[in-house]
Amino acid sequence: MTARNVLLRLAKGGPEQRAVDAGEIDAVIDYANSNVILLPAARRALRERGNEASIANRLLAALPHAEYLRLLPGLEPLTLRSGEVLYEPGAAIRHVYFPVDCVVRLLAAVDGHPALEVGLVGRDGMVGISLALGVGVASARALVQESGTAMRMKAALFELELRRCPQLQRDLYRYSDAMLALATQTVACNRFHAVEARLARFLLMTSDCVLSADLSLTQSFLADMLGVRRATLNEAATPLQRRNLIRYTRGRIKVLDKKGLAAASCPCYPPRAW
Amino acid sequence: MSQRPRKRKLPAAAVTTEVLLRLYVAGAAPNSVLAIANLEAICREHLKDGYQLEVVDVLEHPRRAMADGVLVTPSLSKLSPGPASNVVGNLSDKAKVLLALGMRGKAR
Repeated sequence: MTARNVLLRLAKGGPEQRAVDAGEIDAVIDYANSNVILLPAARRALRERGNEASIANRLLAALPHAEYLRLLPGLEPLTLRSGEVLYEPGAAIRHVYFPVDCVVRLLAAVDGHPALEVGLVGRDGMVGISLALGVGVASARALVQESGTAMRMKAALFELELRRCPQLQRDLYRYSDAMLALATQTVACNRFHAVEARLARFLLMTSDCVLSADLSLTQSFLADMLGVRRATLNEAATPLQRRNLIRYTRGRIKVLDKKGLAAASCPCYPPRAW
Repeated sequence: MSQRPRKRKLPAAAVTTEVLLRLYVAGAAPNSVLAIANLEAICREHLKDGYQLEVVDVLEHPRRAMADGVLVTPSLSKLSPGPASNVVGNLSDKAKVLLALGMRGKAR
């Protein structure tokens, strides 16, 4: 049955009919066929949203639907460009970001040394986790690595919603614990594991986060992230390439054999899931 | 035997009955999202914490909508305190929503 036929059954001049005429109705219930019929405008909007939702951020996707709907008006979709800095250490957190298909690196720098990676945030997480723990100041630099979409929420609204939504709170606590565990592991890994194994781990984790085997990473950036010289990085990358685990071209790295690369990585991969 | 004098009605402000509301929506369709936002704003302003709102997504639970006699969404039902009442649409008409919540004349 079409929407039109069902609409014809509504009482003439009744409140439902008037709301339909005012364009305030999304769906009508078709009792004859036990069905819900979306009106064309709502169907169009849902189709567009559906495309977004299929690649939604995991923290948001895990929320009960009604909670997600409540958060939705406060979530602003925006495109983040590679190289954009979301926070500098010590700066006030004005927004939190839920990446959808972009990747953000958290970097720590000391005494003018190039920044070292301390965390990686993709569609599984949130940028600005300190705010969930009650601290409104960023502790690390947040740099967009891969361009893509993220949902942004104002800090004040986020704090309010966090108090109202126990599930979001619980998930964010678990997530921040996983981030802490990862940072802790990274400290030990950086100190004790060989550069080749660390490079393998780094590439695997980035690839998991970007959901692609094709990564745009320059040699100098990789060297900075691992805290080594470029020559050292080359020495580590060459054997991986020779074994056909990765292919390295100017500014791009392709993971060819994920399983093989995981075997070459230190046991710090895969990181603990949250 | 004389009848016990009837209790004086408490002033409205002292009534602490919780208002039970149910809002039927169609997923994240535009009017449904708007209705949730409008209703939340009205409740926050006029009912403070004295309300419970259940949002039912008819796309996920069509049978529930039918069992409750819902014709269109968004549709808001006040379940208690009685009498039960109903508003349809995106709830942008605040006076109409307040009337249905039994809070006539409190708009503004």
